[in-house]
Amino acid sequence: MLLETQHLTKTFGDHVAVNDVNLQIEKGSFTALLGPNGAGKSTTMNMLIGLSRPTAGRIIYDQQPKLGVVFQGSVLDNMLTVRENLQIRADQYRHVPADRVAVLREQLGLTSFMKQRYGTLSGGQKRRVDIARALLNEPDILFLDEPTTGLDIQTRLAIWTLIQRLQREHGLTVILTTHYLDEADSADNVIVIDHGRVLARGTATEIKDRYAADLLTLTSPDVPQLAAHVAREPLRVTDQQIAFSLPTMQDALDILTTNRALISNFEFRPGTMDDAFLALTGKGMR
Amino acid sequence: MLAMIKRNLLLYFRDRSGVFFSLLGALISFVLYLVFLKKNMLASWHQLPNAKLLLDTWLIAGTLAITGITTTLTNLALLVTDKEQHIAADLELTDAGPLRLFASYLCSAAFIGMLMQVAMFAIMWGGFYVTDGLTFSASTLLNVFVLMGTSSLLATAVNAAIIRGIHSVDSLDKLGTIVGTAAGFLVGTYIPIGMLPTFAQNLVKFIPGSYVAALYRQFLMADKLNPVFAGHVAARDQFERLMGVRLNWSTLLTQQETYHIMGLIFIGAVALAFGTEWFQVWRRHRRVVHER
Repeated sequence: MLLETQHLTKTFGDHVAVNDVNLQIEKGSFTALLGPNGAGKSTTMNMLIGLSRPTAGRIIYDQQPKLGVVFQGSVLDNMLTVRENLQIRADQYRHVPADRVAVLREQLGLTSFMKQRYGTLSGGQKRRVDIARALLNEPDILFLDEPTTGLDIQTRLAIWTLIQRLQREHGLTVILTTHYLDEADSADNVIVIDHGRVLARGTATEIKDRYAADLLTLTSPDVPQLAAHVAREPLRVTDQQIAFSLPTMQDALDILTTNRALISNFEFRPGTMDDAFLALTGKGMR
Repeated sequence: MLAMIKRNLLLYFRDRSGVFFSLLGALISFVLYLVFLKKNMLASWHQLPNAKLLLDTWLIAGTLAITGITTTLTNLALLVTDKEQHIAADLELTDAGPLRLFASYLCSAAFIGMLMQVAMFAIMWGGFYVTDGLTFSASTLLNVFVLMGTSSLLATAVNAAIIRGIHSVDSLDKLGTIVGTAAGFLVGTYIPIGMLPTFAQNLVKFIPGSYVAALYRQFLMADKLNPVFAGHVAARDQFERLMGVRLNWSTLLTQQETYHIMGLIFIGAVALAFGTEWFQVWRRHRRVVHER
């Protein structure tokens, strides 16, 4: 285990931001901390990278780790060029090879705007530079705090592909926070956090299986008769359609085969991360 | 540490208008003097020979002291903005170490303070050379340059100690306004110290910049004062006390005593600034991360 937390807790006055969180992060894994705003994701991350002290509990690293962190906001200087920003940060590490900035420039495709001021870059370009900065010291673990918030869908996809490539090709351990549910889909490990507590953990598929109900919508010429034939309480009924929320795909198959004659059309939608997330965290806004 | 100093200097000079306004802030006493005060003060000094040159050097001295205070404070603002924008958190992840990072902020501030004093000196001397034919001897210039270094170190240390208590850019701006406004009075540049009420005179003695201003006046005015007061010790003391050329504790302070006082203030301020930084670092790093 590269990183482990035991009963990690952080309070601010009366407010418990992180409550008894136990994490196990394996080397080379990809973990997504998923949670709504104010769930305690960033607080957890700040403790993991040593920026804030836990009120209680322990953080245990396997060896003295080299950390790379992509913060939620920009932490580079708007008035300096990309090259200046990266070179200055690189010089502040002890064992960074002289060509590191050049290597990252190629790897992350920064060449066309190396001489541009950081402040004039687009959101996606900035994010790539931020990631390059986090990779300067060839970290063992890369932390990313909401790396794709505020980016358009193409850029989000590009950033996401980049992070996955880094994990695959360089054996990087990646831990990121996000509130985009579709992003959590491709992580090895999803940890759903709310109100500072871990609500669920596992692969995205496991979580969906466990917490997200499948949706079966049936179109029928005789809806009342169809409803009478199915023992379950329907989710909603209209003149031509009836919808059921079902725990497994098998249940859907059973309904479809036994009522074949009454069904003119059907739609089956497996549970999504959204469903699991709403089931876990509730629908209230905060 | 060098990389960090380079960054701070780059940030300062990239912001052209920032540099301009930083100079303008220091130039204000100079402009105020030229526009409003010079005529009045000259009228009250008419019995002195060389009155014009004495007044010019007196003003340069006070303005340089203010420049040291305000420009170092402006540059140290980076400490607060970096913290507020979480840049400090990012810097802490590097191998630089918090105390070295802190030291590099101070070094760049001191460097800027020195540079801006040189620039201000050149501007003012240039102006007075053209209008009043002001010149200085080489030894005076040497003394002034050494004092510029001392002045910016002292101002940096004192400002750094003050800035430790400030955590938002908003309150920093307010502090900057207060310092910018008050400095001219507190080091006796707008109004000669001897003309202030007793309470204000005592207050002036608690301001580190006053000692810098006094030394500047001693160095810059010496060449002009010596012939004027040749043989009149009492009259000279009286003048020096009035104009803040030498500050009065129980007796008028000598150059050496003034330097000693500045040294003590410097050590105290550095201890305070670094002490609080060190304490914060120590508190935060008490074994947060455990290794197997």
